[in-house]
Amino acid sequence: MNIVVGVGDMKVSNDPDSVLVTYALGSCIGVGIYDPVVKVGGVLHYMLPDSDIDPVKASNNPFMFGNTGIPLLFKETYKLGASKNRLKVLVLGGSQILDQNGLFNIGKRNHTVLRKMFWKNNIIVDFEEVGGTVNRTLKLEVKTGEAIMKISGTEVRRIPWI
Amino acid sequence: MDLEKIIQKIDSLSPVSSSGTKIMEIISNPNSSLGEIVDVIKYDQSMTANLLRICNSSFFALREKVVSVKQAVAYLGMNNIANIVIMGNFSKNFKSSQDGYDLNEGELWKYSVSSALIAQGLAEKRGVKNIPRLFTSALLKDIGKVVLSNYVGDAFKNINLKVKEDGMTFLEAEKDVIGIDHAELGAIVAEKWNFNPEMVFIIRNHHNPINILIQDNLSIPIIYLADSICMMIGIGGGADGLAYKYYQEVVDRLNFTDIELQKTIVDFWEKTKAVEEMVNLSGGR
Repeated sequence: MNIVVGVGDMKVSNDPDSVLVTYALGSCIGVGIYDPVVKVGGVLHYMLPDSDIDPVKASNNPFMFGNTGIPLLFKETYKLGASKNRLKVLVLGGSQILDQNGLFNIGKRNHTVLRKMFWKNNIIVDFEEVGGTVNRTLKLEVKTGEAIMKISGTEVRRIPWI
Repeated sequence: MDLEKIIQKIDSLSPVSSSGTKIMEIISNPNSSLGEIVDVIKYDQSMTANLLRICNSSFFALREKVVSVKQAVAYLGMNNIANIVIMGNFSKNFKSSQDGYDLNEGELWKYSVSSALIAQGLAEKRGVKNIPRLFTSALLKDIGKVVLSNYVGDAFKNINLKVKEDGMTFLEAEKDVIGIDHAELGAIVAEKWNFNPEMVFIIRNHHNPINILIQDNLSIPIIYLADSICMMIGIGGGADGLAYKYYQEVVDRLNFTDIELQKTIVDFWEKTKAVEEMVNLSGGR
């Protein structure tokens, strides 16, 4: 059964029949995590880097922002028995329009906030494909941890992360 | 590729209805008053019913149920009424899947409506006067994709190679491989449908707003910015992805701060469900 993770959304699952899916990552970032021992997976799809622009809205929905969504993604999998040192981590998205420099380059800033947080918390990324001008879709099978990526218009690819 | 053949394909689009044509004339003509649209709607039962359904949808979140066109105008204003009626009259061609662009059924329409709504929001913040004209241009600017989709599908490998290897924009690659791009083709459709010259111009240049910066016209930068926002947040994200050129100087012209733009994204995101309802209702005709 597909569990769709919308834009600005996060889902975790330990149901072996479920597949976590998130579509059309442009400048947004998709983070997938998986603990192969307890077979718990989680996917976050955030839109913007930092909740400082609107703390009230961020408290209503922390998954819109990287800085508030990322910690919750990890915490929610811990609740299902996942352990930080076993978690596999993959990162997709952060695309940019061609020649998009400067402040409104949300794709790049979305990636920067993630790198800073991961660095600070000693989280190692097992697979990352970020940037470019493409839309990416991510599917993560909870039973096996198998993950696939589809770039719009091209073939499905298996992600080598487990 | 045979350009004549591609241009002939325009004739296979669903034609604009007579009410649609009348409404378009009213929006295009600077001497017309938008209120004239009411006269067109009131003789068309299904258009009226559809208008009232959308007025009462969660997007507008009215406190009272609207039961007549007159009431709808009073509550929502003529700009919104014109936009709703335009959506109802032009959705048909946009609803089907556009396989060449890897867009499923309804995705191009969802993208078009979203892009037009974001443009309307930005335009209201900048006091742009003719909102329905801007809304309609933003809504219909990708009509060329509907005609070009099959050709893009057939030539996708080559187009994608030009984008990936040669650093072309998707638009440049379309033109290089097929001989025409979706913006140019869209402008030809708009001319055939008798859109006014400003709208034809916007459709032709919606990915190249730098061509017209000299003009004192904020509609073009606004439509361009709204389109960029949609691409970034993945609305209607297809095979062309974000492979278009970004013009910071165009965005700068509008003087939005980074925070304002990010808030625009957040505000729009909060309306996701209401927009989806609007997208479905507006495709009803």
